[in-house]
Order: sequence, then C-alpha cells, then structure tokens
Amino acid sequence: MLTISRRTFLKAGALAGAACAVPAAFDFPSFVRGAAEQPVTKIPSTCNGCSTNCALWVYVKNGRLWKLEGDPKSMKNEGRLCARAYGVAADVYNPDRVTGPMKRTGEGQFSPISWEQAFTEIAGKLTKIIDKDTAGAVAWMAHGGKETYAQMLLDEIGAATYITHYSTCFTSKTNAWDKMVGNQLTSDINRARYMLFAGRNYAGGIMPGAMRKIMRAKDRGAKIVVVDPRLCELAKVADEWLPIRPGTDLAFFLGLAHTLISEKLYDEKFVKEYVFGFEEFWNANRYFTAEKAAEICDIPAAKIRAIARELAKNAPAAFLEPGYHGLHNHYAASTQIAQANVIVNALLGNFYKHGGLMPAAGPKFGKLTLPKRLQPEKGERADGAGVNNEYPTVETSRGIAQHMPDRIAAGKVKALFIYHFNPLRTAPDPEYQKKMVKADLVVSIPVDWNETSVHTAHYILPEHYYLERMDAPKSTGGNIAHDYPQAVMRFPALKPLHNTKHLLDILKGIAQAMKIDDLYPFTVEEEAAAMLKPLGATLDTMKDNGCLEVAEAVRPEFPVKDGKPALTTTTGKVEFSVGAFKLHGRMGVPVWTPPLVSPKAENEFRLIHGKQPWHSHSVTSNSPYLMAVSKSYNGSRMWMNRSRADKLGVRDGDTVTVEARIEHGGEARTVSKKVAVKVTEMLHPECVWVPSGYGNFSPRQKVGYQQGVNYNDFAPARVEPLSGGCMVQEVIVTVRKGG
Amino acid sequence: MAHYAMLIDAARCTGCAACRVACQMQWQLPPEVFFNRLEFRESGKYPDVKQEIVPVQCMHCDNPPCATVCPTKATYKRADGLVLIDHDKCIGCKYCVVACPYDVRQMNDRGIPEKCRFCAGFIEKGEQPPCVSTCMNDVRVFGDLDDPNSEISKKMKEKPVYQLAAEKGTKPRVFYVKRGG
Ligand code: SF4
Ligand code: SF4
Ligand code: SF4
Repeated sequence: MLTISRRTFLKAGALAGAACAVPAAFDFPSFVRGAAEQPVTKIPSTCNGCSTNCALWVYVKNGRLWKLEGDPKSMKNEGRLCARAYGVAADVYNPDRVTGPMKRTGEGQFSPISWEQAFTEIAGKLTKIIDKDTAGAVAWMAHGGKETYAQMLLDEIGAATYITHYSTCFTSKTNAWDKMVGNQLTSDINRARYMLFAGRNYAGGIMPGAMRKIMRAKDRGAKIVVVDPRLCELAKVADEWLPIRPGTDLAFFLGLAHTLISEKLYDEKFVKEYVFGFEEFWNANRYFTAEKAAEICDIPAAKIRAIARELAKNAPAAFLEPGYHGLHNHYAASTQIAQANVIVNALLGNFYKHGGLMPAAGPKFGKLTLPKRLQPEKGERADGAGVNNEYPTVETSRGIAQHMPDRIAAGKVKALFIYHFNPLRTAPDPEYQKKMVKADLVVSIPVDWNETSVHTAHYILPEHYYLERMDAPKSTGGNIAHDYPQAVMRFPALKPLHNTKHLLDILKGIAQAMKIDDLYPFTVEEEAAAMLKPLGATLDTMKDNGCLEVAEAVRPEFPVKDGKPALTTTTGKVEFSVGAFKLHGRMGVPVWTPPLVSPKAENEFRLIHGKQPWHSHSVTSNSPYLMAVSKSYNGSRMWMNRSRADKLGVRDGDTVTVEARIEHGGEARTVSKKVAVKVTEMLHPECVWVPSGYGNFSPRQKVGYQQGVNYNDFAPARVEPLSGGCMVQEVIVTVRKGG
Repeated sequence: MAHYAMLIDAARCTGCAACRVACQMQWQLPPEVFFNRLEFRESGKYPDVKQEIVPVQCMHCDNPPCATVCPTKATYKRADGLVLIDHDKCIGCKYCVVACPYDVRQMNDRGIPEKCRFCAGFIEKGEQPPCVSTCMNDVRVFGDLDDPNSEISKKMKEKPVYQLAAEKGTKPRVFYVKRGG
C-alpha cells in the first residue's frame, strides 16, 4: 500500500490526525443506484443511544435501515443528532446481538432454548421462591426509570425492590433537590444571561438541544463559564474555563454562597419568603470565605468573588447548572455538593424564573383503566433504600444498584431480573459484581451480549431492538427548560431480525407460565392510545407527525397555596437544612467536607472520568462506527497533565500501568491495568482522566473487547449513606511507565 | 447554474463526530471509511490552554490537482462546483491521492480513491448534506454562492473567511471563518 504523508492544517506535535484505514467493504455506487429507485418510508422513533430520548425519523429502504434524521420539533434535540444516535441505530445489524433466548450451561457458556422453555423454567423457579414466603427477595434492576410493566409484576407478587442505575450516576442530586425543593428544576438556557456549569458537560454527555440553546445564548451575548478539572468539550466553546482541583467543588460553591451573603448580593426578598434554614446555613458557614474556598479548590478568591458578583448582577436570569453524574454521585460529599448547588441558586432567587431555573414540563398522559387486583402487602426493600436501619434517606424511586452481591449473599435477594442494564460494566468493581451469579435465579433482558449477561445471567431473554418495537409515549421534559410539554413515541421501523420479543410480551410469557391470569390485559398499542387520548392525539397522528407539543405553557410562578409557599417540602419552602440528613451526628446544611482520599506521592493521582462525545457508556462501546471514531482519534487513552507525565518519564502514547487497591468486605486486592496515555495541558495535574465508555470485557462483544480501561475497574463497591451514591472518584491510583 | 460551497466555523465545533457518522449513513459507508475528519490541537500551557478542532473534507477545489493529474479524467469538476469521480473510468493509479494537498481521499475495497461528494444527488433536491444538518453547533453552512440570498452568501459577507492551503492555488470551495471573525 502507498504510504501517504500526513498533511495537517494545525501544525503541532500533539496532533491526533485521522488514520487512513483500508476499508473492509465499500459499495456505495451500487447502493446509490439501488437507492435512487427505491421508495423510502419515514417512521418516528426515539433514540436509544443514551437516556435523552431524542426524537428522530428513521429512513427505511428495502426493509433496511438507511439513515436517521432528528425531529426539529423536539426540545431535546431540535432536529440534530449526535454520532451515538447513528452508531447505535446501525447496531441493529451488529453481529454481537443476542439472537434468541439462552440458558447458561457453564461459565460464559449458553445454549439456545425456546421461549416456552425459558418462561416455564423461570416461572417455576420464581414460584418456588415466592412459595417459600420470600417474594420480597425478588428484585428488578433496570437502567432507566420505572418500566411500568415490571412494576406490575412486582406489585402482583409483593416485591418492593425496583432498582435503577441512578445510584451509579446522579442520585445525590435528585435526592438533595427532592428533599430541599420537592422538584427537579431545570436550567432555562434560552433566556439566561449568565450560565455557570460545574459538573455538567452538554457537549460530552451530549444533549443536542442543550448545546443548541447554549450556542444560541452565546451568539446573543450570554456569558458561559465552565468549571471542570478538564478542558472539556463544553469548556472549549465557553467564555471561560476554570480548572478546579478535583473533589473540591463544594468549597467553590460555598465560597460563592459566602460572597453572595457577605456582600449582600443575594435575593433577600426571595430568601425571606421562600427559604427555610437560611440562618442555620449561614451560622455553619459564616467563616468559610472565598479566600478559604480558594485555598482548597485552586480557583483564586478574586475569581470566586467575581463570579458570584456576575451571577448576582444577572440574576434571576443566571444559574449554576444543577449538574449531573461526576459531581453528584462520585464523591463522599456529593450530597452536600448538590445541597450547596441548590443553595447558590436559591440565593440568586432564580427559582421558577425565566432565565433561571424552571420546572420540567410534562404532558398529562391518560391511563388505561385496568381491573383492580388483589395485591399482597410489600415488605422492606431488599437493597436497603429507605429502610430504617440501613439507608433511610436514599430515594426508593432510585434504589441502590452497586451492592447487589452482598444483598444476595445475605439472603435478601434470591431472584434478580436485570433489564437493559449492565452493572458489571457500569457499576464499581466488576470482579465483585460477578458474584451476582450466585442468586437462585438471574434473568438478563438485553439486546447484546453484555458483561452482565455473559457472567451472571442464568437466562438471557433478548428484547427487540428499539428500531424493531413500539414503545409507549414519553415526556421529553427534564434537564433543560422548555415552555411547552412534549410527548415522543417509538414506532417499529424494522421487522425484528432475530428471535426476540417486546418486554411486555416477555413479562406476559413469564406471568402466564406462573399462572397469573391476565396481569397484562392490553397491548402496547392500546396503552399508547389511552395515554395519548387526553392530549387529543392518536397513534396515527403521532406516526405522521413525530414529536407532539402540548399548548399549555409552563408558567414562571413559584408554587403558592392560600398565600403561602407550597413546594412539596415539609415547610413548603426551599429547605437549606434537611432534617432527614441529620443522621449520625451530621448537619442538615452543607459544610466543607474534604474528599475521602487525596493523592500525595509523585506517582499518585485521583482517578476521575467523564463522557467523551462518541460514547454514552457500555451500551455504545461495541458499535463499529463509534469505536472507529475512537480509533481515529486515540479516544481510549487516559489523560495526564504534561508536568506530571514529564516527572514519570511518560510521553504521549506511552503505555502505563495503573494500579489501585480495592478493599471490600475485609478482603483486599490490587487491580492492575495497562493503558495508553494522552499527555495534555488540558487537565488539572492532580488527576488522571479516563473517558467512561471503554474497557469492555465481554469476549462476545468483539468490537469493544478490551479497548481502553474503565474507571469502575479501580473502585470498590461502596454506598454513600445519604443518597446511595457510589463515590467512584474517591479513588487514588498509582501510575508507572511501561507494562 | 448554482455554484455550491461550504462555510465552516471551526470555533463552534466540539468534536462530536456526528458529521462523520451521519455522512457514513447517508452513503452507507463501512465504519473505517469516512468523508470528513477532525483535526485536534491544543496550544498553551496549563491552565492557559486552548483547544482547536477543525473539520476537514474534500474542498471541491475550483482548480483541483486531483483532476489535473488523473490520466483518465475519472475525477472531474462539475459545472455546479462539485468534484466527483466516475468509478467506471478510474484505474486505481492513486495519483489523485498523492496530488490532493488536503489528504482527504480514502481507498475503497475496489481500489477506488473515494472522498466527500458534496452530497451529489441530494443537494439538487434542496436537501442539506447531513454533515451540515446534524451538527448541533451549526458549524457548517452549505449553499449556493451564486444566490445572493442564500444563507452562505450572507454569512460570507458578515464574517472574514479563509481557505486551507490557499497558497497552493487550488481555489477551494470550502471556506473557513477566521478566528475572532
Ligand atoms: S457535528 Fe458539528 S460539532 Fe460535531 S464534530 Fe461535526 S462539525 Fe464539530
Ligand atoms: S480537496 Fe483534494 S480531492 Fe477534493 S477536489 Fe481538491 S484536490 Fe481533489
Ligand atoms: S457533504 Fe455529504 S458527502 Fe460530503 S462530508 Fe458532508 S455529508 Fe459527507
């Protein structure tokens, strides 16, 4: 082959250019010729590449997926789609999908079985567990929010434990907002004049609609400040990037609050009318000045003060973005960090204000009327969430996902269903998570051969791909403000390729085999039609038009009843002090709490992670299209600051050994992995950063297998007591050159 | 007759590569073949560091060296500005690959050097190329420079622009917004 010298337009040594790979197959002329004559159908759906639910149109030609186009009406994407959308759609043809129901025959070994056999055997085992009076030991784990179908089965048998992945993602934030505000407010980017982002990178953990709103705001002169240990993708287009010492955002937030209060810049009227616990907060933080914060967080005091003043000057059309994954789950003080976020915003008086924070809009869906069923009483949750002597303040709507093997060993969980969720790769310490296999029954409902299925499932019941199925309508609301509620829906665009089923039919099969009559006396079509009815929409109108916007606008009004503040909190006000958090000698208000661990030696680093725009998490890392992007740009490398790399003799592209000690349940191990390094100036020197989508270890996922490392490899499975977070950035690794 | 061109505002790009994968779907390309790429560069020292990301693709040059060197005229320039390849005439000599100063050609499995087609066949119907329409940051503007009312014509008047490697005399029809412009 001809060697081509690289010509680049950005002349610098550190440049990562695109590799000119030799294609494996390339047949577009014949495609185009064929394409020209073939009729194209366009079917509305919602993306399954992350949890944003971008509305899109699927172009189908010859019964095959051709391409996608964003739905311009959807506030989450405004017609735009990210790379992951295309990669994940193309994965409908990925050869690593599970092609039919499977039964475990040995470690990593499975045999195909019929759906009937799978249903009968699963029902038999489940019935035995319930008959032994341990129905409470049946748990359902899922990536996303409640799948109502599974909830119906749990209700029927009397099981309390529905667990989401959120305890490995952002539960500190939702818990703090729930207890302090009773609502999750969202940033009104469209009207804001000043936006401070800390722990949220909309250009890496992409939400296309958020980026459109941010870029429009920038075009009209709004100021964007990004606080992040890494010059993240959002920081690249911001007015200012403030690199912060990782793990110290709480100090920064408290410094902002101190400046706002001590300089009397805060909204006194709002605080007087709508805030409970202001004095308690101020008494506990009176001495935590911007100067004190600066010593801890590496952002100069003058800068902290300047930001507080600018926020106040632009308030209420200014906000500290409520944040996401990294800050709001992965530190021991994540709950306090989220509390401090609420407080800074409340001091700006931006709640329920245009340009500040607005409630998420959700359409008022209808409901199928189903016959009432006699249901057994439920016991305590098997994961300890909301349980008195365990994790009383953890939200039961989210649960705790990362300590399942301990709950199984303790006999609290005997049967485990895992739906569209891969805790073996997305929760800490995979070696520990593998022990889930020891439950009496483990059923995984995936689309692909993910780690959890391969290592723990006794049965794998593959679901239709999202392009192959209809799913009930969903609200697009959340994270970013939009004036009108919207509903989006999935219609089947392609015929199922394999012997898979819809989740509803999988559960119908199990329920019928358990001799539970008529648990699901409806189809998805009937359910969807009932939901749409009050909105004046039908399946046909949704199919023709895609995203549906409801005319009733969200108003910028603080909830008030009988002249009194009426949030759903105890006082009806924003509660700076949370009574429920005053456990084990803790305070109800946030105060500076240092990270659990800190790097000290020359070869020690805090291991932090974040999203890269090409991957969501384990769900995208086996996509040939997305992994090809990673390869073009050396995406799986671990970032290290140049000054630290120089000291270790590490050069860009070198392989290093990363080690961490994992202690769990009285046992200790050292984890050691090799990874290539990206040497950069774009990172705080105290940490190394890994993109979160890599390190697949399922040998049946050939594309993603052993590409890069994953932060979860180095972290023990711990539970932050207030919100159930997994504290995965409280990890120190040592790094040495070479393998 | 239209004369198509593209304007790229690299300062807006956040490196998501949606443009690359959307294009791959449009043309049903395999994962390893892509018609547009990103060039990443950082400059400065921590914490005063900047990042640049520049999207690059075929420039549809008005004076295309790839067409000049092509012994069979397989690569040709269309009247509306597009530089295209006639696969039936291509003999796989790779002269064009070497001649292109922008390194945008990729070999396909049949030995034909491929590249961005400016979405020929779609744009004539008034469609936007997916690399343009998928971009959440509005990095690219595509349109007809002969139409003074087109978005690209207006934007080109608003902002100072430049071309990559203009000194080579290739006369690219892909323009870039000047930094700070
Ligand atoms: S889609 Fe837009 S933002 Fe994303 S890489 Fe391409 S040009 Fe940049
Ligand atoms: S950019 Fe390269 S391939 Fe495209 S027209 Fe110019 S010389 Fe030819
Ligand atoms: S113009 Fe069309 S062919 Fe060229 S890069 Fe964009 S999408 Fe691909």
